Amino acid sequence: MTVSDTSRLVLDEPYARPILVDGARDLASITDRVCGVVERPTPPRAWYVAITITSCLTLMLFAMVGYLIATGVGVWGNNSPAFWGWDIVNFVFWVGIAHAGTLISAILFLLRQKWRTSINRAAEAMTLFAVCCAGLYPAVHVGRVWVAYWLFPVPNQMQMWPNFRSPLLWDVFAVSTYATVSLLFWYMGLLPDLATLRDRATSGLKRGLYGFFALGWCGSARHWQRFERAYLILAALATPLVLSVHSVVSFDFAVSQVPGWHTTIFPPYFVAGAIFSGFGMVVTTMVPARELFGLKELITLRHLENMNKVILATGSIVGLAYATEFFIAWYGGNPYERFVFLNRALGPYWWAYWLMIFCNVVAPQFLWIKKIRTNLLFMFVISIFVNIGMWLERFVIVVTSLTRDYIPSSWGYFKPTAVDVCTFVGTIGLFLTLFLLFCRFLPMVAIAEVKTILPAAHGHGAHGKHGGEGRPGREVSHG
Amino acid sequence: MSAPHTESAPRQGDQVLGPRAGRWATPALAVGVLGLAAALGLGWQRGDGFSRLQHSWLVACAFFLTLSLGGLFFVIIQHLTRAGWSVVVRRVAELVAANTAVVALLFAPLVLGVLLSNDGLYPWADAERVHGNPLLSAKAAFLDPRFFAARCIVYFAVWWLLGRWLLARSTEQDRVSGPEPTLALERRSAPAMAAFALSLNFAGFDLIMSVNPTWYSTIFGVYIFGGSVMSFFAAAVLALRFLQSRGFLTREVSVEHYHDLGKFLFAFVFFWGYIAFSQFMLIWYADLPEETFWFKTRMEGPWAAVSWVLLFGHFVLPFLGLLSRHAKRRLALLTLWAVWLLAMHAVDLFWLVMPSAETSGVLVSPMDLASFAAVGGFWIFSLLRLARGRSLLPVGDPRLPQSLAFENF
Repeated sequence: MTVSDTSRLVLDEPYARPILVDGARDLASITDRVCGVVERPTPPRAWYVAITITSCLTLMLFAMVGYLIATGVGVWGNNSPAFWGWDIVNFVFWVGIAHAGTLISAILFLLRQKWRTSINRAAEAMTLFAVCCAGLYPAVHVGRVWVAYWLFPVPNQMQMWPNFRSPLLWDVFAVSTYATVSLLFWYMGLLPDLATLRDRATSGLKRGLYGFFALGWCGSARHWQRFERAYLILAALATPLVLSVHSVVSFDFAVSQVPGWHTTIFPPYFVAGAIFSGFGMVVTTMVPARELFGLKELITLRHLENMNKVILATGSIVGLAYATEFFIAWYGGNPYERFVFLNRALGPYWWAYWLMIFCNVVAPQFLWIKKIRTNLLFMFVISIFVNIGMWLERFVIVVTSLTRDYIPSSWGYFKPTAVDVCTFVGTIGLFLTLFLLFCRFLPMVAIAEVKTILPAAHGHGAHGKHGGEGRPGREVSHG
Repeated sequence: MSAPHTESAPRQGDQVLGPRAGRWATPALAVGVLGLAAALGLGWQRGDGFSRLQHSWLVACAFFLTLSLGGLFFVIIQHLTRAGWSVVVRRVAELVAANTAVVALLFAPLVLGVLLSNDGLYPWADAERVHGNPLLSAKAAFLDPRFFAARCIVYFAVWWLLGRWLLARSTEQDRVSGPEPTLALERRSAPAMAAFALSLNFAGFDLIMSVNPTWYSTIFGVYIFGGSVMSFFAAAVLALRFLQSRGFLTREVSVEHYHDLGKFLFAFVFFWGYIAFSQFMLIWYADLPEETFWFKTRMEGPWAAVSWVLLFGHFVLPFLGLLSRHAKRRLALLTLWAVWLLAMHAVDLFWLVMPSAETSGVLVSPMDLASFAAVGGFWIFSLLRLARGRSLLPVGDPRLPQSLAFENF
């Protein structure tokens, strides 16, 4: 452990704001460091190994989807009484993962959390990739994929209109709106950095491509003024979307009368769970990525620790929601509701329930301990638990309620097929492939934004470190 | 802009209410005593075993309690996030948050009524009624008078201890030169938040939801939370405006701080709307009789109008009104919205509790106003007593310079 790592184990001196990035104390070195990842002639060997594996998994996903389209949805384990199975579990899982990016870039921006600048770009990219994985499931679950466009209110001669009373249709709008705004937000934030890559490009092809996507950014005062305006507006628009997407996803369940699904706390509880799982995934990917691409000085232990604190907070909210649900199931006095919750804990899926409790409620509690939340190995293991736990949560919600309906004669036990398993593993492959490509070809850290938090950017470098002596750094904010 | 003031730290003596607190406290106490007398008189005159008065009293207690709880949330989260901008407004929040003992005292008669099997407010307090109703007897283990009283003691003890501890540590920082009190506040704020969340969630079920003991909604605690925090921000704007009009904090609290308070006020107007919509929509859509009856009483007859008032007054209009930057920085406008939203918070609590007592006819009784005056008078009296000898500015806070220099742009 280095000296600067040890000093992190005590609380910050409250007299001045700490410098959020290590090592790279001047502006040029940040550009060099981030662009260096993209500009090096060949990526690290580990990158090749990783992308070989993940692209194989992606190919498997395509094969599974092709097989499903050619054969029918029957290749999945969905069957009476569990008409929803891994498809919706995985859909909700991936949509949940997609929450961290926009939370970091929009909500933390409005809350002036400047540490977000080192991680927002990568987290937003993960948002987009996770939405791709999520969107795949409902798209292929409709069965006749070639008429999936019927989900949109397109005027047509058949007089067919979508059923606007169905929360599944609300999902189409909620998720596609979220994907659009997240993409715009991410792309707009990329513009200055794409221009940087364009200006540094050594080959004509690279200059042309980065230049094309940089939309003629030249860094003029007028560009920056418009950029910051647009950034603020998009952040303000994206903030309610972070809440709305998973709320609408939770409506898929909560508007029904199925015991265990119909409960009013679902919207905020799903949102907290989504942020929890999203941050879990960001930690899972950033811990290795910062090592692999030499970005440890930009994505510091402090960033990881902060994310772990968010995981602890949201995990505890999820735990409180579980407790509330369980309590009200008893308090409400509805025998079906009581049965469903006892069945979750003691019925045939008891293993999934208790594993979920361990992963989502117990494991994150270790993050109360500073030594654990600043230890790379521990945080990585806990983040894996979070990923597993949040997948299990959706599995428990979907499957336990469907397989124990009101009529015992229609009870059953859900078993996934090999196609289910391979499709899910394939989406993990797709997600990681896209992430690895992103790391290789786009700036992983928002260069321009990180520069704004350096003391040098405020013209009083020395004070950033010893603010107590003189005039402290001014709180600069947008909003 | 506030930047020029940063060089001179204000002196402590400037920002202490001192004898002036006493001058304002006496009329508050008088209002409290008169309100109490009027409420008791009106309640007795009604001849319903004080049932209606207990409802009024619960609404009034809940209103001032939620202000304090919103303040508690604000103070804890400022320490949790090591916020700099809010230092100049934090002492006012700490005082509001620490002012829960008086509500505990005022709420005690309702708990005593439950212990004496008076079912005027909480129908489950009557053992015979519970026995005859399978829905109630199923939850008798929880809605048990003694268990309820014990839980109330725990809730109020948690809130009182948290509030007093936060205030004590913060005022200690005024006197000592090292940052230790601030660091202690930061260190303990996470477990404090956990205690706050647990207690508020279940207190919502206990104190307000159980007025309708057969109805249930898992989101109810979150709903109370949303209203609490919103009402606190509205109250904070008004308290600061009042103090500034009397010459306190005039150079320290600038339009920048109001702007931030306005943003949070806006955010929690939105959050309340989100939670209220979620609760309503899910119950309306699933259409289960054991849940919908609660909304049916509020959507039909005289209560329908109140529901519409809430929809527009608590959400749509303030959402539009507080959306622009201009509205949050124009202090007269912000103050107007703060007054409006505090009134809406009272309507919200009234709407939650009162349909159990008033199914038809007259909605607002003079008893409601008397109860409000009584609880409000005592609450403000107690708040001024708390504030009297303490600086209104955390003068020793290590982040005070950041707060003084804070600007939005």
